[in-house]
Amino acid sequence: MSATGVQLVSVRQLVASPVDATFRLSPGDRPIVSAGESVVVGAPIAERLRDPRLDTFDIAPSAVEPEPGARWTGRARRGDGHGPIGEYMFEWHGRWRVATGDVTDPIETPFAGIVREVRPGTGITIRAAGRGIPGVVAFGTPTRGRLQAGAEGELRSGGLDVGSAGTILVVASRVDAETLTRARAMGVRGIVVAGLSSKERRDFLGSEARQRAALHRLPPFAVLVLDGAVRRSLSGAVQALLGALAGRQVAIVTDPPMLIFDQPNLVIEPPPIDLVRIRAGALAGREGRFIAAIGPRRFQGGARLEAAIVHLPDGTEAAIPIGDLERYV
Amino acid sequence: MTSEPRAFLALDKGAATVAAALIGRVAGRWRLVGSIAMPADAQLEAVISVLGDRVLEAEPEFAAGLGLRPGSVLELPRLEVASQGPGRLAVVAASARGLAPLVASASRSGWRTSSGSADAIDPLAMSMLLLDPGVSAILVGAADPPGVDERRGIGELAALVAAVAERRPDLTIILAGAMTDHLSAFRDADRRSGEIVLAPAAQRDMPGGPLADLLLELALPAGDSHRSLGPAAATLAEVLDRQVDIVEIGFDAGTRVSARPNSGGGPPAFDLAVVPAAALSHAEPDDAMVDRVGSWSTWGADRHRLRDRLRELDVAPWSDAAGEGSALRMAAARAALARLAERTSDWDHRPPADLVVAAGGAWAVASAPAVALAIADVLRRPGASQYALDHARLLAPLGSIPDPGERRAMITYLLDDLLVPLGTFVTPAGLRSGRSAGSMVVHGSDGDTEHDLQPGGLTRVRLAPGVEAVAEFRFRDTVKLGARGRHFAVDVAGGLGGLIVDLRDVPLNLPERADLRGELLESWEQALLHGPKA
Repeated sequence: MSATGVQLVSVRQLVASPVDATFRLSPGDRPIVSAGESVVVGAPIAERLRDPRLDTFDIAPSAVEPEPGARWTGRARRGDGHGPIGEYMFEWHGRWRVATGDVTDPIETPFAGIVREVRPGTGITIRAAGRGIPGVVAFGTPTRGRLQAGAEGELRSGGLDVGSAGTILVVASRVDAETLTRARAMGVRGIVVAGLSSKERRDFLGSEARQRAALHRLPPFAVLVLDGAVRRSLSGAVQALLGALAGRQVAIVTDPPMLIFDQPNLVIEPPPIDLVRIRAGALAGREGRFIAAIGPRRFQGGARLEAAIVHLPDGTEAAIPIGDLERYV
Repeated sequence: MTSEPRAFLALDKGAATVAAALIGRVAGRWRLVGSIAMPADAQLEAVISVLGDRVLEAEPEFAAGLGLRPGSVLELPRLEVASQGPGRLAVVAASARGLAPLVASASRSGWRTSSGSADAIDPLAMSMLLLDPGVSAILVGAADPPGVDERRGIGELAALVAAVAERRPDLTIILAGAMTDHLSAFRDADRRSGEIVLAPAAQRDMPGGPLADLLLELALPAGDSHRSLGPAAATLAEVLDRQVDIVEIGFDAGTRVSARPNSGGGPPAFDLAVVPAAALSHAEPDDAMVDRVGSWSTWGADRHRLRDRLRELDVAPWSDAAGEGSALRMAAARAALARLAERTSDWDHRPPADLVVAAGGAWAVASAPAVALAIADVLRRPGASQYALDHARLLAPLGSIPDPGERRAMITYLLDDLLVPLGTFVTPAGLRSGRSAGSMVVHGSDGDTEHDLQPGGLTRVRLAPGVEAVAEFRFRDTVKLGARGRHFAVDVAGGLGGLIVDLRDVPLNLPERADLRGELLESWEQALLHGPKA
């Protein structure tokens, strides 16, 4: 038995801290915060141009020479409170190209924090006040809501009700595109799921793109995938943490994909060091205790892989490829 | 007692797996003592400890001779390379025609690329492309002198890129060809944290020229595992006095090196291409990528399931390596190898290498004959080549030894341990289907054996590693086997797969129907793994 055996197992972070989340900006979008500023939940941090375009303007000889990325304000039209706004892009033949547009949408932060960096045209990075549960991918728009435990296994569209409006639902294993679309329509703010298949993901993104083209502004809704693309239950450690967060306000951000919570008093016990989860193979999703690394063994299909003995809760032991194991720290 | 180390560690820290090898001085020469590979985010010290413990348990006296005792393996000197992960290079030009050679050079130089030309996308879209937070360098180029289609837009493009450079002083800016004349548009170049680099123009139909070399220098630092394969291949070519190709399929990039010994007494020459698009997996595999893997897959999954599996492979590349997972890896490796071959198609006119070495984590879970077959399926060149596997992933660490003399000495010492011989593939082209193509007589040390050659299949002859023989071919019709002819005698060397005469089409023609294709692929694999052996 090797004392260092369990350290051969791939490690996943249960909780990340600190969390620097980035909100992507395009040329013309107007940041309204600056580095070092504190922001509260729901605070607008930028204005996004809905249909940006590039216009060309002359600069008066007496004016201060603009810089790329600086804000541009046009002359107010009659009756307007202020003129059109935009962003200087580049100068060519004495005229400036300016990214501008007519309608803007606010970008709001779904969590409190401190602005770390503002790069016009690129993004705003905010360090969250709180910690995060990392996922493998997230899509949609950053969102916030009360965390609510959902279905144990697969969540079906019929399983949703209006009482879930304003919540972020936890789905234990898998969800389909119809359910995601219906959840968004019913005012659910987000879904946290272990696995989302490529087909459901594509269908949902297609539906969202159509909605976005038809309507003007969709309410914030995000899907956070914690594990991957195949059906798999949530790990015990993550389930326990999500259980502890049930009923509390959390946020989903997409860059990096993460569920952010600000509960400084929540004590998160680290999982036992020898607790491992089987990620793939016939026993995928089960958890057990790492006993020992046993060296290379031959597995299905003749593959010769480094293996370990894992003690399962039913009292049995199994030789599992070390690559199929993961543990949370 | 000498102060010189009697053992050291060679570490290849890949993006998906980490490989550690223990090299010891035995009877006056360096030998491979043991090796191990584990998931990349396993604790490195634990991986090394397990390797040391195994050597101590298996051969305690031998280990003591190397100065090893429990725990001391962690104190050994280390020769270490790491895969850095490719950065993103935004490639822009004034015209689509000017853009193509730039992208061709950049995409095989260790960069992931995103690209656009001023005649295809508007300045706003181009600004978005360049200001993307994932971009770490910009290549903006034009032909030298600029083409007619480039002249009108080149000045405005320079102004646009200069404005982005002002906003993102951390970006490295590479001005290529006639774009170097617009250096004055970039103000405060000295005060930027990112360099502004002047480069030669990209050459059409020559993607591996000086621009590619410069981009490789910028993309991959010294000590990068992909880059180190270049000097390793060159030294191997010099030591063996043979033309050597290395094909590496890694998690974040594919690498191909073509090295030849220099007959003039100078240093050996090599060409290196590092192609991130030829990585084993991609976070967002597109339809073309999925279909390509599907075309090599034998387990008949639909596109959605296959995409799910490829996404899983990207999330946890070390996981699910047995059973179907192994088959998926080999299909993905073939697809990646095909992308690598496409990006280096300008090397196709060269004579086939004497030795083809498979490297990288993608091959780790397959049997030796299956690896050889995968390479032969994709890199189809008429001729005879010996195939080998860099089983302990030693080539990249050895290639990182900066002194050519030391590198040569170390590779010479380790030559017997470095590579697992997979066998020799003899691939004639131009066979007519439907009847016997001729015969082959293998003249070995224990007598001659004769074999009929049936077009469309694989003929495997058992030839143990280290055994050499002469294979004499008599074809009914004229074929191409290096040269054109009907009668050939080829020196062959044995390996785990033996001697394989590959009588399939060059290039390979696979059926359109997935079930027929799967059956055919499976039959070839069976022929190689379990088929009739002489």
